[in-house]
Amino acid sequence: MKNLKKLIIASIALISLNTFAEVSVIVNTSNANSVDQSVIKKIFLGKSKTFPDGNKIIVYTLKDSNADAVDFRQNALKKSNSQYKSYWAKLAFTGKGTPPKEADDNEMINAIKNNPNAIGFINSSKVTADVKVIATF
Amino acid sequence: MNFSKVKYGLVLLTAMSSSTFADVDFSGFASINAGKVLSGTGVPHYGVEPSFLADYPIVSAYYEEWSFKPESLFGLQASADLSDGLSVTAQIVARGANEWKAEFEWAYVTYEINENWTVQAGKKRLPLFYYSDFYDVGYAYTWMRPPADNYTWQIFNYNGLNLLYSTEIGDWSLNTNIYAGTEDDNDNKLLGDYFFGGVETREIWKDILGGVVNLSKDWFEVRLTAMQYTNERYIDGERTYWGDEDHRDGKFYGAAFNFDFDNWFILTELSRLDLDDTFDTSMITFGYRINDFTPFLAYSQFEQDSDDGENHNTQSAGLRWDFHPSAAFKVQYDKVEDNSYNLAVAGDSDSITFGIDLVF
Repeated sequence: MKNLKKLIIASIALISLNTFAEVSVIVNTSNANSVDQSVIKKIFLGKSKTFPDGNKIIVYTLKDSNADAVDFRQNALKKSNSQYKSYWAKLAFTGKGTPPKEADDNEMINAIKNNPNAIGFINSSKVTADVKVIATF
Repeated sequence: MNFSKVKYGLVLLTAMSSSTFADVDFSGFASINAGKVLSGTGVPHYGVEPSFLADYPIVSAYYEEWSFKPESLFGLQASADLSDGLSVTAQIVARGANEWKAEFEWAYVTYEINENWTVQAGKKRLPLFYYSDFYDVGYAYTWMRPPADNYTWQIFNYNGLNLLYSTEIGDWSLNTNIYAGTEDDNDNKLLGDYFFGGVETREIWKDILGGVVNLSKDWFEVRLTAMQYTNERYIDGERTYWGDEDHRDGKFYGAAFNFDFDNWFILTELSRLDLDDTFDTSMITFGYRINDFTPFLAYSQFEQDSDDGENHNTQSAGLRWDFHPSAAFKVQYDKVEDNSYNLAVAGDSDSITFGIDLVF
């Protein structure tokens, strides 16, 4: 009986761990733009530079070393880490684009909280009331 | 009165200091490569020992001894966003092939007019080929280098203006640009070192006018380009004449088609230069991604349309391994056939090169 309890707790922990691997795309709470998944992809690949309301978008990414960044690139952008890095190296070193600014988890929440035109992503377990979730991957 | 003057002065000071302290972003790339010729004929009648010319414009040649210098390079980019759409960018590259002398390869001002239109002015890469713009950034492509037989033209920068237009049409991205400018290279390495036997050659491309149209979606990309220029040349200080003319006009055309499915991809590129003769290049590459490994096969060729014109081709096989989030290891075998006698470049060769490409 005791063992079963342990097993149940362990399974729940596992399930919640899985849930927590989910990544949320976040914007400022004042941002009322409707942004669907295909637009999110374009924003993080530098193809869309302004929100529907005309404001210039400031894009943030988690650092390469963060597993959530790799998950996001794979699930939302359909690119492996090296494809993503190659894509941005090609644009950044030829004057055709500026890659998203890098942030860690805390910097990410602060950046989004303080800038109405910022967009970023973070592990869903780390989302706070300071930001608004517009999509999950 | 005095007070408002002070206030005005303060505002001015604040404005000045904010522009003085514009954030400068640094980023960079590096390649540490090594290689050697396994066997080769060289070009005995021109005194060229067995060699593999991996990069024509900057004359990166491998010989029968291991060497790290020909293709190793270190690039640093600094860019500052001056707000309101204005930014400045400079790229300094130091090459082993150039005794690690650091040089400005790019230096330009960018103004983003709006979401679609951007104008740039300064020194930039001449975007003749698909990979011209990011030739130095080995991390951004699969091979050790874009096919040497194709990327042969002696001028690879220009100074001038570039107008870009980009837009999204459904799933498609359209990127176009028109550029105009000149390049005056006082001591052209390829012409001086390889084609005119060690004599200082000044190569001028002026009245450059070109355009690029790139249309892409997830799995398909096409890039079409055309460019025209006027060539003037001084060999050892003496002006070159082509017949009675002290200049000649060139026209360049290129087309690249890339296909990229889940794991496999095909890269192709064709080009033609109409100068006195017609020069055609082509290449095709097959690659397959298996997790962090990307094996590939490639073929490229260069053909001058004249009797015993310049004519060479390369068969390549290689592997890219993404062993780190910001670095890739590559190894490549190249077999070159040089078919011309009078316009032989480096002779036949078999060679091996390997190295690490990084971005930071």
